Amino acid sequence: MSEPLVFMMGKFEARIPVDRMYFESHFWAVPHGDALRVGFTAYAVRLLQDVYFLDWQIDPDTQVRKKQTIGEIESSKAVSTMYAPADGRVIQFNEALLNDPSLINADNYDKGWLYEFSTTQPLLSPDEYVKVLEAGWEQTQRLLKNQFNE
Amino acid sequence: MAGRKITVVISQAPGKNPVKRHLEEEIATRLMLSGTAEVSVVLHLYDLTADHTGMLWLKSLRGNLVVLGWLYPRAIRWVLDRNGVKGKEGESRLNRIEDADADDQEHPQEEVAASRGIGALDVPNRLIYAIDLRNDGDPEVYIKEIERLADLVSVPLVQLGFGGGLQLPVLPGNGPATNGTATAHGANGNGTPDHSHNGDTGSVISGIFSNGNSNGTNGHAETPSLPMTSPAVIGGGDVRRRWYPVIDYSRCTNCMECIDFCLFGVYGVDHSDRILVEEQDNCKKGCPACSRVCPVNAIIFPEHKTPGIAGAEGGPVEDFKIDLSKLFGAPSALEMAVLERDQELVADGRDAVGAAVGLPKRQTCQPEKTRDDLDDLMDGLDSLDL
Repeated sequence: MSEPLVFMMGKFEARIPVDRMYFESHFWAVPHGDALRVGFTAYAVRLLQDVYFLDWQIDPDTQVRKKQTIGEIESSKAVSTMYAPADGRVIQFNEALLNDPSLINADNYDKGWLYEFSTTQPLLSPDEYVKVLEAGWEQTQRLLKNQFNE
Repeated sequence: MAGRKITVVISQAPGKNPVKRHLEEEIATRLMLSGTAEVSVVLHLYDLTADHTGMLWLKSLRGNLVVLGWLYPRAIRWVLDRNGVKGKEGESRLNRIEDADADDQEHPQEEVAASRGIGALDVPNRLIYAIDLRNDGDPEVYIKEIERLADLVSVPLVQLGFGGGLQLPVLPGNGPATNGTATAHGANGNGTPDHSHNGDTGSVISGIFSNGNSNGTNGHAETPSLPMTSPAVIGGGDVRRRWYPVIDYSRCTNCMECIDFCLFGVYGVDHSDRILVEEQDNCKKGCPACSRVCPVNAIIFPEHKTPGIAGAEGGPVEDFKIDLSKLFGAPSALEMAVLERDQELVADGRDAVGAAVGLPKRQTCQPEKTRDDLDDLMDGLDSLDL
C-alpha cells in the first residue's frame, strides 16, 4: 500500500490514505459488502478532538437525502450536527461506538467507522479530497477563529 | 408595602421537574409574603389553548404585568399577544445578562430592524414584562427584579384607615400628612408617577385597589406572619404538549413567504390581510421548516432546541464549544427547510416536492458567475454571528 497523502493543518499532519474514496464533508468511504463503510477523516478528527458523545437520530436501514440531519456529535471542544453526505440509505451504525465513541479518536480509519451506507453518488479520489481541504482551509480557520472570539 | 403591588403571573414549566417547580413556588410564596405582588400561577403558556381557563384568566388581567415563564422573553411576549394578552414591551434587566457587556451600538440596529415589522394590533397602554426563568436558579434574583419593577410602575394607591391605627386619608391638598405623601417622596429619577408610601402596612384592602383581579384562590391577608402556600394553578390539570409557530409582529413584514411555503394549512390571513397562524394544531410536531424561510426571522418555535428559532435575541448564548456543522456538510437554511418539509409531507402520505413549491425566488434569472475572493469572504460572514 502506498503512503498516505498528508495535509498540513497548521503544524498537524492530517493523513489521507490513498486506499479509499472520500466525501466532501470529511468522510472516507470503503466498499463493504454491497455498500460502503463510512468514517471521519483525520481532518475531521483533528477539529473535533476527543469525542465523547455520539447520537443518531434515525433508525438503521433508512433512506436519506443529502444534507439531511441524521445525528449529533459532541467532543471536548466542539459540537456538530451530523448530516447525510449524499442521497442514499443508511444501513446500520457501528454499535461499538455508541458505548465508546473514543474509538473515533483511536482508530478513525478502521475500527472507528461510523455507519454503513449505500449510495449511487460519485465520490472524491484522495487527490480530489486533498484539493477540497486546501480550498477550504482558509475558511475553516476563519470559522474557528471567529467562534473563539465570541 | 402598600401602593406597590404589581401583577405577576408564573407560567409553570411543562412536566414535573421538581427543581423548576420549587423555583416557581419559592418566587410565588415570597412575593406574596412581602406583599409586593398579586401572584397567580398558570400552566405552560405555550401549551394553553385560547379557551383554557388559564389563558382566559391572563386575558382578564388589567394593568402592568410581569409574566415569568420557561421560554425566551420574545416567545412569551408573542404567545401572549396571539392570545389577546397585549401590552407594550417592558424591559427587564434580567433578560439580557449576556448582553451586559455588549456594545451599546448593537441595540440601535436591533431597534431599527424591529420597527419595520407590521407590529401588533390594538396594544393597550400597559407594560408586560416577560422574564425567562431559565436565566437563574436563585429566586432572590427574580424577587429583587420584580420589586424594582413594582416600584417603577405601580399605580398610586390611596390609603384608607381601615383596621388598626388612626390614619389620615391621603387626599390631594391635605396638609403635611403623617403618612408619606406623594410630594414628600417626590418623583424618582425616572419621572415615573409618584406613589404614596406608608410605613404602616396591614391596613389596606388590597383587593379593591390592586392592579389585577384577586386570584381568588388564597385569601389575601396582608400580615406577613400568615403562612402562605403557593397559589393553585388556574385551570389546573394537565394540558397536551403543543407545537405551532408564533409570529413576532415587530419583525414580520407581511411578505407571505410562510403561507406560500407551508403545505399543511397552518397559516392564514386575518380580515385586514395580515398573516396569522390560523390552524395551530395543523403544524407537524417538531418541524421548524417555515422559520428558516422567513427572511426576517419573525417565526418562533418556542420549544425548538436552536435558540435562534426558539426566540432568543442576539447571538448564541454562552456556547463555549465550536460548532463544526458548517464544515460537516450542513445545508443552507432554505435547503434545510425543503428537507424538513419533504419529510413531513412523506410522513403524511403525500409526495415530496423538493424546492419546486412555495420557495422565495431570489434572483434566479441571474447567470451563475465563478466564485472569487469576495464570495468567499461574504460566505465566511455567515459564520460570524454578527
